[in-house]
Amino acid sequence: MPARTPFLDPGPAPADRSPRLYRRIVSAWRLVVIGGALSYRALFNWTTPPMFIGTLLVGPLLQLLFFVFLGRQLQVADDRFYLLGNAVISASTACVYGGTMAVANERRYGTLGAVLLSPRNRAPLWFGRALPYVLNGLLISVFTLSAACLLLGLRIPVAALPGLGAVLLAASAGCSAFGLALGALGLRFRDVFLVSNVASSVLLLLTGANVPRETLPGWMRALGDVLPLTHAADAARQLSAGAGLDGRGVAAELATGAGYALLAVVLLAVFERGSRRRATLDVM
Amino acid sequence: MRVGRALRLTLVGVRTHVSYMSRSPLEITFAVLVPLVYATLSVYLFRAADDPDRLLTAAVGAGLMGIWSSVLFGSGGAVQNQRWLGTLETLVASPTPLSLVLLPITLATAVIGTYAMGATVIWGAVLFDVPLDFAHPVLFLLAVPVCVLSLGMMGLLLAATFVLLRNANALANPLDAPVWLLSGMLVPITVLPDWTRPLSWALPTTWGSRAVHAATSGSAGAGEVLAPMGVSLTLGALYALLAVLVLGRVEQRARAAATLSLA
Repeated sequence: MPARTPFLDPGPAPADRSPRLYRRIVSAWRLVVIGGALSYRALFNWTTPPMFIGTLLVGPLLQLLFFVFLGRQLQVADDRFYLLGNAVISASTACVYGGTMAVANERRYGTLGAVLLSPRNRAPLWFGRALPYVLNGLLISVFTLSAACLLLGLRIPVAALPGLGAVLLAASAGCSAFGLALGALGLRFRDVFLVSNVASSVLLLLTGANVPRETLPGWMRALGDVLPLTHAADAARQLSAGAGLDGRGVAAELATGAGYALLAVVLLAVFERGSRRRATLDVM
Repeated sequence: MRVGRALRLTLVGVRTHVSYMSRSPLEITFAVLVPLVYATLSVYLFRAADDPDRLLTAAVGAGLMGIWSSVLFGSGGAVQNQRWLGTLETLVASPTPLSLVLLPITLATAVIGTYAMGATVIWGAVLFDVPLDFAHPVLFLLAVPVCVLSLGMMGLLLAATFVLLRNANALANPLDAPVWLLSGMLVPITVLPDWTRPLSWALPTTWGSRAVHAATSGSAGAGEVLAPMGVSLTLGALYALLAVLVLGRVEQRARAAATLSLA
């Protein structure tokens, strides 16, 4: 049994530390980028062309059309409201289910043990998993919005496009962190896709993507405030109407995402420790 | 196979698969919780539109959407699940026609979907005080099973198509919203562009949901419920017939190419 020895070595001189720190940063980034890309290819079941196109591109676009026509019939809000709201929420399919699959599929395919045996820091390990979904979500939102503009004639001021890009990126990042937090439950519960299915539907209701938030009761609005996509949907609508970038909205979206990222890291650490203690890591 | 035996096989099959699916948390979630979210969303939208008279229509529409989702994913999974379980070859090799093996599964998914209808209507009544004043309560209780039956038969055609596809979900995932839309489950098809009408008319779901909505509210007479019910059943039977033909051809090809179990 290895003995724990007192720490006596003062360590290398400051001049020697820089290359070591540099190597550690590069190594962490390699873990985030390469590890994330590999896990995305291996674990995200929808990376085949038919699944990607059918589920992630066509599905959200058809959902958007459904809500636009529903909105036109009920005359609750104009096309712009539904187009922007659904373009923002279209990222949720990839981000919520992706985050869930990033963890739950490791367990399902029996590779979770090998991943958790790794001595690497958990934060870059798990954030690397979320990174491809951020980009994926952004791509889907841009595709949905572009297709909707072409099909339904929505015009967005050119000056608003950079801001809109930033808003959609913040939305995807927040939603991916939310998905990762849900995925963490996959370390503890067997049917985690049940949770992600319900969560995905709840986002439709509470984020204001399809129901004007002022028509919802107070407690639903309060819940929506702490969900990803809510502030981004508002900011995107303001931008498309030519009102300029709502810095507070974007900041609120980023803060919500950061909260879920923190929650994901804590849950993953807690559930990892619990599953090691109970030896239930691979139990399905 | 004699008609009596085929009927018995279908009934026993439906009972068995409904029992299986009722034990699956994922099926129940799809059949109950997700439609409840859509029902809530519909009720708030209809309220925001100052259209309180149609709240029951909104709840019933959300229930119909739930039935379709259940059929869609259940039919997609019908073949895929047998493939994953390694039982598809056994079922194909059995003397019972494959269509008669799959029909109870697709019907069972539609039956499970009726949980959605019950859940959304009760949810609306309990939480949103939606009055349950159906225009034709008896016809409503008749229209829903007819709608379920025709949807189950439509599901059989979907399942037949999915035998050919290795990844049936690629087709099933985006088919949710267009059928909700084209069938007028929540939005009347009159708001859609004219070119979509023939597509709507060709779907049993359109006639099924028309019958259910006519029985739910408005001043529709009994004929306006019964006629769409008849069309829905006829179209459903046509879809089932087409499915039998497609399945025979697909099965032959899969046997010849030895690709039946390739997932």
